[in-house]
Amino acid sequence: MAAVKRITKELKEFNEKPAPGISAGPVSEEDLFKWNVILTAPASSPYAGGAFTLRLELPMEYPFKPPTLSFTTKIYHPNVSNDEKGSMCLGILRSESWKPSCKISQVLEMAAGLLNEPNVDDAVETGIADEYKNNYDQFAKTAREWTRKYAK
Amino acid sequence: MPPSRSSRSSLQSVDLRALDYLTTPSANLLCPICHSPLITPVQTRCLHTFCSACLSLSLDRSLTCPIDRQPLSHDEVTPAPIMIANLVNDLPVLCPNHELGCGESCARWLVESHVREDCGYAVVKCVKEGCSGVVERREADAGCLHGEIECEYCNDAVRLADLESHLRECPKVSSECPHCLQSLPNSELVDHIPECPEAIVDCQASCYGCSHTSPRLEIGAHETNCHFVALTPVLQFHAERISTLELENKAIRQKLDLLVPPRPLATPAAAASTTAQPNQVNAASSSSSIVTTTGRDMTSEMQDYTFHLYSEYEQLRSDVERLNAQIRELDVKQDMARINEGLRYNDEMTGMRAAIDGLRMQLHWLLANRREVGSTGSPAAAGTTGRSVAGTASAGDARRMSVDSARQVVKL
Repeated sequence: MAAVKRITKELKEFNEKPAPGISAGPVSEEDLFKWNVILTAPASSPYAGGAFTLRLELPMEYPFKPPTLSFTTKIYHPNVSNDEKGSMCLGILRSESWKPSCKISQVLEMAAGLLNEPNVDDAVETGIADEYKNNYDQFAKTAREWTRKYAK
Repeated sequence: MPPSRSSRSSLQSVDLRALDYLTTPSANLLCPICHSPLITPVQTRCLHTFCSACLSLSLDRSLTCPIDRQPLSHDEVTPAPIMIANLVNDLPVLCPNHELGCGESCARWLVESHVREDCGYAVVKCVKEGCSGVVERREADAGCLHGEIECEYCNDAVRLADLESHLRECPKVSSECPHCLQSLPNSELVDHIPECPEAIVDCQASCYGCSHTSPRLEIGAHETNCHFVALTPVLQFHAERISTLELENKAIRQKLDLLVPPRPLATPAAAASTTAQPNQVNAASSSSSIVTTTGRDMTSEMQDYTFHLYSEYEQLRSDVERLNAQIRELDVKQDMARINEGLRYNDEMTGMRAAIDGLRMQLHWLLANRREVGSTGSPAAAGTTGRSVAGTASAGDARRMSVDSARQVVKL
């Protein structure tokens, strides 16, 4: 199956050249379509010191359809829905802008990048986005508090 | 190559996508969709290259280029330049049967014919007419091995191909016990060997240092007198304790490594030499920095490390401040430049506006003049030329006037 072959390739590539602050791998050897991801937040962000676990799910039609990425650790972030799903909105993961040439490692790097710099113009949690724009100190305070509470 | 071999071509098909490449191919030769070296490369209207199969799968789902998302239809896909196809077809690959033992490697375009005609490990049809079995090519010349014969010991039907392994396991065949030389059927021998009274065994305390060995019958007598056996419970307890301590130690070391980055450890030889010769202070001084791991040294090392971190932090801070100042300076410079530019543009704009005003006035005058000439000039032109000359002269005056006025506006 084409999807399995490509995922195996990407996994091998990722293991040979892991991105800093990101560790990822399939949940089990039999099912390559579900990955566990751990993002270590950069020190410059209000999430510093936190380790966030995410779930990456690849569709059977991968790479023709985009994967989905969701936070299993609660996080105070404009681009992550504040519910039990914790789904992340990432531009390249929308089916109309997904390209089969995008790689899992690129997706994960973009997710890690969003921790450092949220994309307020494309937010799911508009309340948090407004706070980020208008009252950054309050935002950073809550983000730090949540990180301490949930991501340590 | 014997003719019988080449006459049978293999049934095995080669999946080009699953091949293992001898070298790491250039990233430019990889299909962006399957990330393997291109197979039957095709090119889109926007000049991107893919495997033919990958691109058509992608177009089945969305009629856009998988790289730049430009609209793309099946008709706009053409075979890629022959050079690209040659580059990927020339990549050296391992035979797909390399895990079975075939050591062959060749260019990718040759691998299919290698499997079809040469590879000793490829599966071919059995040489015998009417036999439906398959066999690896290297064994094909031995004749058909798919017929069944009766095992002479157990009377079971066994395939010829499996006879050798069957004889090794056949429960009716007798073999000799290697210890007591008794002949027993295979089925009983398995149970006999671990119990054979003649077998030479070690003392049960051999792991604690007892080197006594004797036939199983006599070992009991030794073990009742063996000092090691008597000590076994104590020794065992200690061994268990050591292993738990080792585990604990390992965990602690891991935690420590997280806190303090690993540094070069003192080699045992260096440590031994310095402890053995404590009076040779001069010789030891060079290696003293990397010696022992006593508590005092650890704390001082930690302090050193903290101090090092602190100084690095200070350095970084001053760096950031310097950069900040530079950025501010640059900002000011850029602002100045922008303001200057703006002024210049303003000037230019007023000049342009004035020029356009002048042109507009000229146009008005010309139009008015044309209208005048149209209504009065045509009969007059037929009559006297002198008048028309005067008319042109006056027109020239008027133009000059308007130009002058335009100039005045420009000056303003």
